[in-house]
Amino acid sequence: MHRIRTEWLLACFLSLAAPAWAQAPAPLTHPALVAQDALNAADTAWMMTSTALVLLMTLPGIALFYGGMVRKKNVLNTMASVVAVAALVSLLWFAVGYSLAFSPGSGWLGGDTRLWFSGMEYLKVAGKVAVSHAAPNVPESVYAMFQLTFAIITAALIVGAVVERMRFSALLWFTGLWSVLVYAPIAHWVWEPGGWLAQMGVLDFAGGSVVHINAGVSGLVCAHVLGARRGYGREPFEPFNLGLTMAGAGLLWVGWFGFNAGSAVAADGRAGLAMAVTHIAAAAAAMSWMLGEWIVRRRPSLLGLCSGLVAGLVAITPAAGFVTPKDALLIGVVAGLACYWGATGLKRLLNTDDSLDVFGVHGIGGIVGALMTGLLANRTISGVHGDVAIQALGVLAVIAYSALMSLALLWLTKVLVGLRVDDDAELTGLDLTQHRERMGT
Amino acid sequence: MLPSEKLAIAAHLHVLLRRKTGRVTDTEWMAENHAYATEIVRFARKSAAEDGHPDLAEWADKLEQAVLPPSVPRPPPPRAREAGGAPTDPGPESVPAPADLPRYVRGIR
Repeated sequence: MHRIRTEWLLACFLSLAAPAWAQAPAPLTHPALVAQDALNAADTAWMMTSTALVLLMTLPGIALFYGGMVRKKNVLNTMASVVAVAALVSLLWFAVGYSLAFSPGSGWLGGDTRLWFSGMEYLKVAGKVAVSHAAPNVPESVYAMFQLTFAIITAALIVGAVVERMRFSALLWFTGLWSVLVYAPIAHWVWEPGGWLAQMGVLDFAGGSVVHINAGVSGLVCAHVLGARRGYGREPFEPFNLGLTMAGAGLLWVGWFGFNAGSAVAADGRAGLAMAVTHIAAAAAAMSWMLGEWIVRRRPSLLGLCSGLVAGLVAITPAAGFVTPKDALLIGVVAGLACYWGATGLKRLLNTDDSLDVFGVHGIGGIVGALMTGLLANRTISGVHGDVAIQALGVLAVIAYSALMSLALLWLTKVLVGLRVDDDAELTGLDLTQHRERMGT
Repeated sequence: MLPSEKLAIAAHLHVLLRRKTGRVTDTEWMAENHAYATEIVRFARKSAAEDGHPDLAEWADKLEQAVLPPSVPRPPPPRAREAGGAPTDPGPESVPAPADLPRYVRGIR
């Protein structure tokens, strides 16, 4: 009797368990075609929304943010640079960048299976759709577009370091080459599951290293190689309209919800937490920058508030899916003060005309965020532990590669088209000399 | 004098005027147009005399020397200075302290 009951239970167990085993999908290790009903509609909708939000950060967010800070004679050139970089990087990402960054290859670089988005199928009749192994719940086309907006904003950030003196053609050559040869490899190292930094356990939820340290370091190198603007340190370079800068900063703040919460690649609890910590860090950094400026300069400025909130957003970026709201408050406070120093004291020490403080805000904010992620990453949230040493290794690797490659690409660009406009053009302004356009009154 | 140096002086005066008097001026036009520069010099000196801003008078002098050729009629000095108004005369001690230098000279923040 006992034996019969045992056999019956075993039979029941097998009859229930076997179909479940057969249905459980093995984790993907490369992009693949899956059944359309394997997609998650909520995740897909959120990722499409996030993609639009992140694009909004650049167009018009960065264009307004930077355009308001330059002199009147260079506003249109600054905005044109951001738009052109967005378009150029989009085409290069479609042709080469996505494949190099997000298809399986070596630990250093992805493969060629997704050049020109090849294999990114949607087969209605067969009921199949391509998904990435990094985001198996959403169509690969959505994931590729989401990542495209990150590639765009990273290159656009560099514009802030070179405004008011770089040739428009030189900017396009440099950012085009940089996007393929610097951004895509680093994205592969950190975000593709086979990348060497990902394998080592470097944590970068939404791009503290890939986007911000990378753009900050490259911007600093560009500014150093280009040289200072004429009159730098002697003349006041009055911003055209800090109201535009505030509008841009507001768009960045809103768009950053897509940047960080979208990086959860799902509409789930982790995305919700990422959104919350993003907002808290931005607010904390705006306040700490403002207080720092109020104490040191005796006045709290609008530009300081805008810069502070961006500093907080930058610093929470690598940590967003790993830390608690209280940790975000701490990250924001530290980032606001550190970036204020980066854009003032450190800037004087470096003695480089990084025009709109790309390194001071994005470089320093990215480093602060990456290291504090190692310190504060909470295992109960993400299932992973942070390690400051590993994080520091990731930071150093990105700094070294970004700096050296930027130097090489600047040299190449100089050979091809020259880097700077001439003195007369700089004095007249790049709006007229590069585009034959000028601002109205 | 190089055009950029003229522009620098005009920009400096522009910032001072905006800060001390609330008046907004056109920096580039100030460095180019004699009539406009003459009016700005007159206004800056008047504000310096009436409101006690010696640095405005100092930079008005600099703009006059930089932009206005000798052939251009100079703006008349304000009455306070005609009357020997020593309090508004920019002396060596009235040079603005470093902390009072205009913003945006060595970085935007």
